[in-house]
Amino acid sequence: MKNTYLFLFLLFGLWSCGGGSSDSQSGDGAGNTNADQEVTVYTHRHYDTDQQLFDEFEKESGIKVKVVNASADELIQKMIAEGEQSPADVLITVDAGRLVRAKSKGLLQSIESATLDQNIPAHLRDGEKQWFGLTKRARIIAYHPDRVQAEELSTYEALTEDRWKGKVLIRSSGNIYNQSLMASLIANLGEEKAKSWAEGIVANLARAPKGNDRDQVKAIVAGEGDVAIVNTYYIGKLLNSKDSTEVEAGQSIRLFFPNGEDRGSHINVSGIGVAKNAPHRDNAVKLIEFLSGVKAQEIFAKSNYEYPVNPSAQASELLQSWGAFKEDTLPLSKLGELNQQAVILFDQVGWK
Amino acid sequence: MSTYSLRQRLTRTWYALNRWAVWVWIIGGLVALPILTITVKLWDGPGSIWPHVVDHLLLDYVSNSLLLSVGCIALTFAMGVASAWYVTRYEFVGRKVAEWLLLLPLSIPSYISAYAYAGIFDYGGSVERLGAALGWTIPHLDVMNIYGLVLVLSSSLFPYVYLSTRAAFLYQSQNLRDASRLLGASESAFIRRIALPLARPAIIGGLVLVLMEVLNDYGAAKHYGVPTFTTGIFRAWFSLESLETAVYLAAILVVLVFALLGIERWQRSGISYVSGHGGRRGAWRKPVAGGTRAGLVLAVGLPILLGFILPVLQLLYWAYLTFAEVAKAEFGLIVLQTMLVAGFTALFTTGLAFLLIYFTKWSPLGGTRWISRTATLGYAIPGAVIALGVMVPTLAVDKWLAALFQNQFGISLGLLLNWTAIALVYAYAVRFLAVAYNPLEASTLKVGAHLSESAQLLGNSPWRALWNIEWPLVRTGFWSAAILVFVDVLKELPLTLILKPHGIQTLAVKAYEYASDERIAESALPALLIVLSGVIFALLFNKTIDR
Repeated sequence: MKNTYLFLFLLFGLWSCGGGSSDSQSGDGAGNTNADQEVTVYTHRHYDTDQQLFDEFEKESGIKVKVVNASADELIQKMIAEGEQSPADVLITVDAGRLVRAKSKGLLQSIESATLDQNIPAHLRDGEKQWFGLTKRARIIAYHPDRVQAEELSTYEALTEDRWKGKVLIRSSGNIYNQSLMASLIANLGEEKAKSWAEGIVANLARAPKGNDRDQVKAIVAGEGDVAIVNTYYIGKLLNSKDSTEVEAGQSIRLFFPNGEDRGSHINVSGIGVAKNAPHRDNAVKLIEFLSGVKAQEIFAKSNYEYPVNPSAQASELLQSWGAFKEDTLPLSKLGELNQQAVILFDQVGWK
Repeated sequence: MSTYSLRQRLTRTWYALNRWAVWVWIIGGLVALPILTITVKLWDGPGSIWPHVVDHLLLDYVSNSLLLSVGCIALTFAMGVASAWYVTRYEFVGRKVAEWLLLLPLSIPSYISAYAYAGIFDYGGSVERLGAALGWTIPHLDVMNIYGLVLVLSSSLFPYVYLSTRAAFLYQSQNLRDASRLLGASESAFIRRIALPLARPAIIGGLVLVLMEVLNDYGAAKHYGVPTFTTGIFRAWFSLESLETAVYLAAILVVLVFALLGIERWQRSGISYVSGHGGRRGAWRKPVAGGTRAGLVLAVGLPILLGFILPVLQLLYWAYLTFAEVAKAEFGLIVLQTMLVAGFTALFTTGLAFLLIYFTKWSPLGGTRWISRTATLGYAIPGAVIALGVMVPTLAVDKWLAALFQNQFGISLGLLLNWTAIALVYAYAVRFLAVAYNPLEASTLKVGAHLSESAQLLGNSPWRALWNIEWPLVRTGFWSAAILVFVDVLKELPLTLILKPHGIQTLAVKAYEYASDERIAESALPALLIVLSGVIFALLFNKTIDR
């Protein structure tokens, strides 16, 4: 028995040293050609197709991609603590707010690239070119066609009207997508109106906010409410679920893109930025340029049922079947800047 | 005492400051360092967002966390103690299996359990599907609220209480019961007045772990929409962007836990829990008959059903749906890596706790006890905050080392601690020391001090006395503590996410990757592998535990 432990101990020691020595190579940037041919990606996205794209990039460029997975909040904390020693070359998040936060904490750097300027529309990237959107999605109204007519729907604001009392479903205010939607309302309508919007939604809620976006759609189907505010890609996920009841739920509802008559539907992006202390800056830029290309864009967006940001790339058939929509062209950096204020307003009106 | 001069007192302290005390300072200090780092941050003030938290959120956090704690303590007490009583005092078919099944709920991360329960009672979930298949209409039961959360957390955490209480019951002398019988006490009077009070340190030890886990839960509470202290810490840190407020909230939490522990210890002070000498120990069991059958089903069957069978069935169903998409050969490697990290950490942490306990025992300095106490506080602090507390000092060392090697030898060194598993294992030890310390302390309390004292009087060194006399008596406690740490490391998430070096992957991280994309069904397979790893490890030490 004792020998087993000793063996385990030694094995672990060997393995952690092995890991250590190969990792520490990435630290000495200069002089080592091997280390030059790599790029370290801190990412919040974890799709298998992402890895396929990274493999593809590796084949095309000869640059090895090392991936560190965690949630954006934790990756940002990690980068702050690591400081100049950080091995991160790029940071990928699934919302614009976190990229703005990374920028405001001085974790990113500006990138001049004609390719990126051409591939990514101005409102989907940072004004100082510190981060770039890669895929986008809209936060829309899902409704049950038996109980709601499309004509009854118009804007996010209209959901606060009395006739929706007890019929609105939406997840908790701790969720970043709700915070970003609120931030867009503050930017577009001002703090007063945004706050009374949140109050109105709370007053019309069908149930206490809980679960994720999929759960809101399932609750519509079950009749707990009639309309839900959700991200487009969750409908895609429901329709492609392995669980037959989820597929049915996805099929029984319809999508409405709100505010089509005025500023357009609220959109958000998953995006990427080059780390301030990136040991392999040039490789990082190459990776981002690669990901903004038409072919990569279509794959990258399709994996999560999102829209590509590159206007030349095609959205998937499913997304095209939902039709074109007008999008809110509010600079996405606003979402990050107003995030804290959005959360404070949520707390004030008691949106759990 | 007052007749001694200062000089004399100092000399006495100097002599009392033997090497054991120094070791306590070193080990305890190392473990307490991240916690102290966080404490120092308190001096930055509560943050600008604090008044907002007090006005709008604090009341909710306090009342929900309180309700959750009280509910879970009551429920895990009932489940843990009753099941421990039945498996130690009754003989029934499948008892050996039940003893093991009762441990298994611990192998499921509680947030995964919460997802599974949500899936079971969901619209179109397993219950409705089953009802439809049988032609019944089953009313919709909503588990996604605070009461559901109490049920889910309790049924996944009660084994902490069960494990320590069972060990305590096993050690109780049969003479006690014989005596109480002779004096005319009924079975229930014996339980109430003798068995339970004697098992108190063990029961409390288990309940403290439950309490800390409950207060630390993030994933389950978030999914069920219940704002608690810990969800509040994350909201303050990440959504309100105030680390100061987050640390302040964490500190309040720690102070509350510390106060509770203090009250318990103060109440217990002066009472010895060393059980009677001689007499037959271990299980004295009687057959189950008549009315106790129903009790058996309720006390043993129900916890196993709620804590293990139901969630695992749901996970199996999901894993079956998504198997083709999720299953990959790399899982074999991830399982191996996870087992290695968890196994090493379990031995390291339990060993550390063991040394701390004995060094404290051998050191006559009063202050050393407090160092050990502080060192076990890590369990009450959210993993992400611990990670921060670990990164600050280890990065400082790393940067110092890097600069030193650069200047002295012209070698550019990476981050030695933070790019290897060293910082990760260190952080695990800080976080989980209490998991090893509490049950281990309970089992060492049962060994009377006179045993090792006699051995030392006979000329043995403390080490020899420990190895020859006490180790055989506390060995069981040691391995159960190691298993608890192992299973906790298997499940650990936030700390692992922040500190794991590139190239190390754990099952919990894999499960999280799917779950965080709201692909809950896809996370079932890695979750089941966590369960399986826990089961394998538990079986591996089956013999040692069972004496």
